[in-house]
Amino acid sequence: MPEFVVDAHRLIGPVPFDDLPEDPRPEMDRLGVHQAYVTHTLALYSDVRAGNEALLHLGDPRLVPVPVLLPESFEPVPDWDVPMVRICPARHRFELTGPTALRWLAALGVTAAVDLDETSPGQLLALARELPEQRILLLNPGYRRLRAIGELMAAIPNLWLEIGTVNTQRGVEWLAGHYGAERLVFGTGAPVMDDCGPRFLLDHLDLPEADVALIASGGSLL
Amino acid sequence: MILDAHGHLGPWPDFLIPDQSADGMVALMDGLGIDAIGISHLLAVGPDAAEGNRQAFAAAERHPGRFGVWQVYNPHQRNRLTDRGVWGVKVHPDVHQCRLDDRRYDPVWELGLPVLAHGQTDSPWSDPEQFVTVARRHPGVPLLLGHAGLWPYGFARAAELIREHPNVSLEICGSKMTGRWIARLAAQVGADRIVYGSDSCFLDLRIGFGRVALAPLDDADRALIQGGNLARVLGMTRSIDGDTTEGRLP
Repeated sequence: MPEFVVDAHRLIGPVPFDDLPEDPRPEMDRLGVHQAYVTHTLALYSDVRAGNEALLHLGDPRLVPVPVLLPESFEPVPDWDVPMVRICPARHRFELTGPTALRWLAALGVTAAVDLDETSPGQLLALARELPEQRILLLNPGYRRLRAIGELMAAIPNLWLEIGTVNTQRGVEWLAGHYGAERLVFGTGAPVMDDCGPRFLLDHLDLPEADVALIASGGSLL
Repeated sequence: MILDAHGHLGPWPDFLIPDQSADGMVALMDGLGIDAIGISHLLAVGPDAAEGNRQAFAAAERHPGRFGVWQVYNPHQRNRLTDRGVWGVKVHPDVHQCRLDDRRYDPVWELGLPVLAHGQTDSPWSDPEQFVTVARRHPGVPLLLGHAGLWPYGFARAAELIREHPNVSLEICGSKMTGRWIARLAAQVGADRIVYGSDSCFLDLRIGFGRVALAPLDDADRALIQGGNLARVLGMTRSIDGDTTEGRLP
């Protein structure tokens, strides 16, 4: 079992459509998750600025802030000291490869996390062509699009994959075998998505112990 | 005893399943301590019920005691059903494009064995309300409402709908299910109405099993969900020749 577990995709705060725990820490304790990269739900479901401000005031080293980046053409690039930002091109209706998004991502120079449903393989390929050094963490890739995901992993060296929704039989082992365990990152999307199943899977992957430890702690990305 | 109510073998057309095999399934079951899993072959769910069922029986023969067969009934193909050597019948109204409460499924209910049916909130084919219709018509047929309705917004409604129909249980596999929801459903209708299933190999056996293993449940409720309830369901019916399904459990 991995000694250090990092959930690269977690939410903090209320959601409008369900009664879910707002604070991730009790469940992290219960499931043996030592650190989480968190985005505030206000930034997803309400006001991006308010959500990011709440997030950046958390001050808990177990919770690494992942603010939501919303490119605005007439505003300055944020001067956040964070390792990762989250972008939501569909939710916030901007072009992932538009001039403002590209300029902001290039200026920040940090990992960009994006949900597969917020973009498309074509957009991700275009982003990688425009900003080949840009590190991308693909969230919620799911299990039905492994073929397309595989193509992206092969074509974009700076793409990492969150495995919480890679949910078909031995899908994670298949990805590790083809693209390397270092490209895979443990994450859940909890509490909207399930954390129990993915956390259990981490302890039961049919991979070398070193590979499991690598995935559990964020691959070669975190 | 740990029993998985919802399993499959074989390929499915719209996505890649890296390990579709019976041997791979048994290897994972051994690692997790799962005694047996109820399977239908995905070929049977899809275009060829008779041949897919034959392949499911063949897999069960190769792995004695590890696979219970859910024989698929396709209302268009009207394939023959058996009451011997099976856990029951699997129907998939959405794939068959035939409502669960359509009379063309009557041969399934008339068999009297447990039935696992795909359930999907707001589907014209398998909304949980249709399970209530069937449960009223056939109160003696144990019915598993697959996926507890599939979509999180419908889980609580599905639980409420089955509350007054003791022959219906919620089977909980699905990519949108969470450990939290399993605990909430158990609190809502009682852990004795919740049945563990994984949907493996369609989904990863370890994730479905782990979701229950790590759900915030007490040990007694977890044991019911992980197998106690299904053992009771499988023991509820007695086939025509007097051979109980309970006798077929490993």
